[in-house]
Amino acid sequence: MGEKEGKEKKKGGFFGAVKEFVYGVAAHDSARFALKSRASMEHLFILITMGDMLGVPILPPYYSLRLLPYVVPQISTWKRRMLREKDLTDALA
Amino acid sequence: MNSVVVLIISLVVFFVGYRLYAGYIDRKVIKADPKKATPAKMYMDGVEFMPTSKNVLFGYQFKSIAGAGPIIGPIIAIQWGWLPALVWILLGTFFIGWVQDYGSAIMAMRHEGASFGGLSHKLISPRARTILLSFVYFYLLLIAGAFGNVVVDTAIRLKPAPMAWLFLTIAGIIAGQMIYRWKRDIILTTIVTVIIAMLGIWVGTIAPSNQIIGETLSNSRLLWAVAAFVFCYFAAVMPIWKFALPVNYVAAYIVFIGLFVGIIGIFILHPDFTLPAVTSFSIPIGPVWPIMFVTIACGAISGWHSIVSSSGTARQLENELDARPVGAGVMFVEMMLAAFALVIAGTIYASPADYGAAIKLGPGGVFAAGVAKFLNAVGLPTDIGRSYGSVMMVVLAITIMQLVVRFMRVATSELLAGWHPVFRNAHVGTFIASILGIVLVLTGWWQYLWVLFGGANQLMASLALMLITAWLMSEGKSYSWALWPMIFMFITTIAALLYTSYSLLNKVLVGAVKGQALIGNTLMGLVGIFLVVAAIVLGIEGIKAFNKYRALKNNKMPESAQA
Repeated sequence: MGEKEGKEKKKGGFFGAVKEFVYGVAAHDSARFALKSRASMEHLFILITMGDMLGVPILPPYYSLRLLPYVVPQISTWKRRMLREKDLTDALA
Repeated sequence: MNSVVVLIISLVVFFVGYRLYAGYIDRKVIKADPKKATPAKMYMDGVEFMPTSKNVLFGYQFKSIAGAGPIIGPIIAIQWGWLPALVWILLGTFFIGWVQDYGSAIMAMRHEGASFGGLSHKLISPRARTILLSFVYFYLLLIAGAFGNVVVDTAIRLKPAPMAWLFLTIAGIIAGQMIYRWKRDIILTTIVTVIIAMLGIWVGTIAPSNQIIGETLSNSRLLWAVAAFVFCYFAAVMPIWKFALPVNYVAAYIVFIGLFVGIIGIFILHPDFTLPAVTSFSIPIGPVWPIMFVTIACGAISGWHSIVSSSGTARQLENELDARPVGAGVMFVEMMLAAFALVIAGTIYASPADYGAAIKLGPGGVFAAGVAKFLNAVGLPTDIGRSYGSVMMVVLAITIMQLVVRFMRVATSELLAGWHPVFRNAHVGTFIASILGIVLVLTGWWQYLWVLFGGANQLMASLALMLITAWLMSEGKSYSWALWPMIFMFITTIAALLYTSYSLLNKVLVGAVKGQALIGNTLMGLVGIFLVVAAIVLGIEGIKAFNKYRALKNNKMPESAQA
């Protein structure tokens, strides 16, 4: 029984690998671009609402504080993406 | 020699290079550690930094690096004979190609996923970063020019290609609407749109361009150059999900089905090489060294790969052990692709004269004839096979071109927006990129343009190897496996660029070229000179950085000895 399960797992593993490879060739790039587009919109929104965290106060703090609970989960990655050094090669891949 | 023997030798090189050499470097020098947290895990943001399976990344890396380059390079380089081309493809990949791809990925991974701009600033000097980024713009321009030329030559030479290209574009637009707007099932979308694209290949054979728009227009370089850059214009300014991505998505299936079936055809026919092993040391585009070493770029080593490895793949690797299969493994697969292209060019013509007549008109015709022959071995009629090969060539070139024009738009904005805000406008940046590209396509001789593109590409590779060497030195690791390839590539590429620029500008100065060729030669010659100057300045900065790391190591020695 255990041997049979192992064989099935191995077979599934091979087909799973092929499936992942096809996804990587055909669609992974598209998925990354879609995520990047969404992220840039979200980051723009956070910059407008929470800009004072980076020293760019745009909205009065009252509104920022009202929105803060909704933005908290994204703050760390947002700050990292905003402050990380970027160059032209980032757009290439 | 029989083509199957060539492929078996290539497989042996693949096995020894990947399993033994790359395995040794990975285990003993880099000491890849599966327990070490990668940037994808440490800085996961669900966007750029995202732990991804190595199988997905293998496909992603392969799709990103395997464009028209590994196919066109060997088709042109066989003019020196198939033996030097094969030796360079195999040894170039074995000693240099995988070192660069794998080294770029692992270096970026050990630097928190930093891109080349940041790495050159940190490891070499601030000036190195400035030069690198201005160099990238000309690099992109040369890619647009060289690949644009391939599209134009293929559209003129192979009359079914334009119709098949049009159907593919329509299929891509429908795919975008089906996936993102109508929310249709991805499998249904794929089947429908790939069938539409395949239908276009057949329609191309019954409605070739000369029958629809007439002989004059169907042979117009201007028309197809404008068509290619209008295509790229849409790809650059339209939302990426509406045009660029879905067209690439459908195109990926067309290319990989063609390659897969074509490879089966090669094994069925297993033809002998009909072209000579060695022809002569020097041909019209130049001598075998250094020109052949830049003519075959992607199949042996390519700077483009280092950008994909560092800014793309390194941020997604979930395990340090995955860097070898993804970075090095894909490079060896690309080597196999270049070997297949060499087999196509070397076996399909009855005599060197036939090949010589075909290559004068561009590499697209040679490739399409090869695809037609090997698809015919599995039962596809030759005229449809030729149409299939022509659209594969167009697709391989134009998918890279459209990305490049999009990046040039971004680059124009970054470089010139400070000077005048009008350059921030997407249409202005794309228009500038398109005009420059069209001028290159219409005025430059394609073989020189290809050599210059290869030179810029190999220069990028030299810079990547320089960064890898500097990083290894800074870490106190063994670095000769990256240093010697870097020295070889640096000298070879500068020699190739100098030779080509001299040939181009000399013709201008002695008045041997007039009209369009005068503009093309001047433009290409000046771009070549700029690349050489940039490379020399970077080389000096690199030597300073190496000396700094050597001095640091020597100063540290007594302290460690005391400890």
